[in-house]
Amino acid sequence: MSEEKPFPTRKIYRPGVVFQPEAQRNIGRGIHALVAAIRPTLGPTARTVAVTRLDDARKPPDVLDSGGVIARKLIEMGERDEDMGAMLARALICRQHEQMGDGSATAAVLLGAVYSGGAHYLAAGGNAMRLRHYLERALAEAIAALDEMTLPVSGVAKLAQVAEAICHDRPLSKLLGEIFDVIGAFGQLDVRKDQGRSLRREYIEGMFWNSGLVSRDMIANQKELQTVYEEPAIVIADFQINDPRHIMPMLELAVEQKIEKLLLIAGELDGDAIAGLLMANGKLKNFQVMAVRGPGMNPDDRQAAVEDLAVVTGAVPMLKVMGQSLRDIRRENFGGARRAWASPHNFGIIGGKGNPRQLRRHVSNLQAQYQRTDDMKRRGEIQARIGKLMGGSATLWIGGSSELEIEARKELAEATAPAMRAAVKEGALPGGGLSLLGCRARLAARLGRAKDPDERAAYRIIHDALAEPARAIYENAGYEPGEVFGRLTAAGAGYGFDAVNGCLTENGALLDGAAIQKMALKNAVMTAGMALTIDVLVRHKTPEIARAPG
Amino acid sequence: MDGTFTLEFARSADSLYALAASPDFARDGLCFAACRSGLYRSQDGGASWRLLRASSEPVTTALALSPAFADDRSIFAAVKGGVLRSSDAGDNWFTAGFPAPPPVFSSLLASPDFERDGFILAATLEDGVFSSTDRGLRWQPWNFGLFDLAALSLAMSPAWTVDETVYVGTETGLYQSANGGRAWRHSGFSSELAPVLCLATATSQAGGDMKIFAGTETQGLHLSCDGGESWERLAADAMPDAVNQLHLAQDEGGAASLYALTNDGVMQSDDEGRSWRQIIRVDGAATAMLPLCGVIFLGIQGKGVMRLPRN
Repeated sequence: MSEEKPFPTRKIYRPGVVFQPEAQRNIGRGIHALVAAIRPTLGPTARTVAVTRLDDARKPPDVLDSGGVIARKLIEMGERDEDMGAMLARALICRQHEQMGDGSATAAVLLGAVYSGGAHYLAAGGNAMRLRHYLERALAEAIAALDEMTLPVSGVAKLAQVAEAICHDRPLSKLLGEIFDVIGAFGQLDVRKDQGRSLRREYIEGMFWNSGLVSRDMIANQKELQTVYEEPAIVIADFQINDPRHIMPMLELAVEQKIEKLLLIAGELDGDAIAGLLMANGKLKNFQVMAVRGPGMNPDDRQAAVEDLAVVTGAVPMLKVMGQSLRDIRRENFGGARRAWASPHNFGIIGGKGNPRQLRRHVSNLQAQYQRTDDMKRRGEIQARIGKLMGGSATLWIGGSSELEIEARKELAEATAPAMRAAVKEGALPGGGLSLLGCRARLAARLGRAKDPDERAAYRIIHDALAEPARAIYENAGYEPGEVFGRLTAAGAGYGFDAVNGCLTENGALLDGAAIQKMALKNAVMTAGMALTIDVLVRHKTPEIARAPG
Repeated sequence: MDGTFTLEFARSADSLYALAASPDFARDGLCFAACRSGLYRSQDGGASWRLLRASSEPVTTALALSPAFADDRSIFAAVKGGVLRSSDAGDNWFTAGFPAPPPVFSSLLASPDFERDGFILAATLEDGVFSSTDRGLRWQPWNFGLFDLAALSLAMSPAWTVDETVYVGTETGLYQSANGGRAWRHSGFSSELAPVLCLATATSQAGGDMKIFAGTETQGLHLSCDGGESWERLAADAMPDAVNQLHLAQDEGGAASLYALTNDGVMQSDDEGRSWRQIIRVDGAATAMLPLCGVIFLGIQGKGVMRLPRN
């Protein structure tokens, strides 16, 4: 008798429609379950959350302290209706994590508090649509209060403070503070693993692209695997060069112009064209040429790189869309630089001889494009372009005593970087939940003036919710929130609570990125407002589970 | 002009690029002249000069003395492709090399707190700004955000030790750094007014914000009182369009005057640049000046260095 294989068990749902009050209750349960899972990770003394591994439940669980990562790993909560609420909360937390790299636990705690306050009001007969309208109005008041508190953040010490509030790793924060003091909001930062045990940073002069020499025979320095040209001329072409005869006019014009070093950046070169260039290196006296592949993984990237290289070097690029080939080369197609280097995988330009006014205009235009778009991917691309054009880049080398430690710290640094950029761009706020507490006076004033019951409810809900992140921070650090609030009230304005050392600090000793706090508040209130207006849940049939054959 | 040439050039092609004097010039009479023909030193208040064979490269284009010169005797001189440093007032020299191709230096500037931080900046015509934090031993390029690498002039904030603010004038604008030159951003100075040939900073006599003066090649002298965000042209009717050098100097009584070298000669302002008067008219092209206590040195193209009484 063959033994029957156990099948995975799963609750079977019938399709159907769920109405109030059950719908609100179930959605609320899902939201609160996820918020409760993430709440312990808020603050400098974050506790951890163990999540079973998706690939193999028998392996040790992932032990996590990042709200964003925890939310990403939770894919269902058990009950189908609760799942809907949990997934609403999950979407908010993941969005906050992806956009800002921090503030996901704050957003979760705020969501839980606003939703809870709103659900109580609705249960007492409030109108959900009107409440949502007034919640958004109260949100605008809170954001305005945060704007008033926002201070520009600059200097190594302040930036390191912001970094520490985000990553809670002092040595890493010190380095990130220094790096962002140099590279600013748009500068290029690469985080890489190091062989050593410690952290270190390196600043690289000029700009470089991840695209290298077309032939190893063009490497002049075999030890360092790179070729460096001083005062090279630079030709940029976005098309493929496959006929060696096409490169002859370029070489002739270069020699005629008394050019001694030439860097060719081309879309692609085939073997015959490369052989032609190598032959020129051997035969032409006082002339050297090297060629690199044009950077960019797709046509848009390649076009952007050509545009940037042209501005930096002052070369008029030769373009396929113009029907050009290297046979059409003219003097203006030659740009220049103080130095250029290339290795099998990268090439760089230092001191490009493009027009500085044009370069500055180009960067301003890119910055304007960055501001105009809300598409995060597009923003990332534009930021990378601006970073290259700033004339240098930073590399943060992450060392450690084990591969696991290095990987974890590298992830932490990478997650902290976008939040640091946001802090440089948009300033900082008093940390440790203090800035949100600081908004309450403005909301209390509005509450005092409001007459409409729904409006009053909305101001009260946001007013109370704004204390919740601070409450969670104090609880997680092992303090009685009521007692801490009492100490803060007694100390008066200008003081915060240092949850690590358990003492009052002067305002400004702890800092949070302003953009992070504002985004967390906005995301939380908008999501809670939307969730509160859900009146009916519609369940589809439980999807069938795919079974392994046999 | 009732001065005398105390240093006369042997060749008509010779030119003076920069002058620098010991902070204690009134007592030690020590001053230096960076010329096309090399570096000269005077130990008698500029009455006589001696050519220092500082390097095989004769042309010296920029000079800087340590603010703590009386103690450390440090002097820096730029030649093509490198910066020379001496810690014995010019008797012995050491060279710090720079990445090839060799840049031409337009300005050297030591930190007011040099004794403690050992910080010095070098502006180049091709490679932007270099800095050294070890008294000129090693130099690093720091050009984050500096889109124009043709750097012509440098100035540090009078409150450098607190704000670490430094300015660089370039062919196409004026950039400022709030972190000791590690990163730059374009100031509010319109690029239409550039090139910025010279810069000077001063603390307002009436207190308040720092004043930044920028002399341009074709657009006269400009002043900012808000850290470089907004600028106004000064004395447009009195001041010529080309302002080649600016110097702030104090007299025996401690009153500060601003001196500007123009194509016509030297002008002086005693009211923070609001009004100017011509104090020296020059026959020929004046290339550098240095107002000191009781004396002004003036370099005349092809002729030499002139010593004139101040006031």
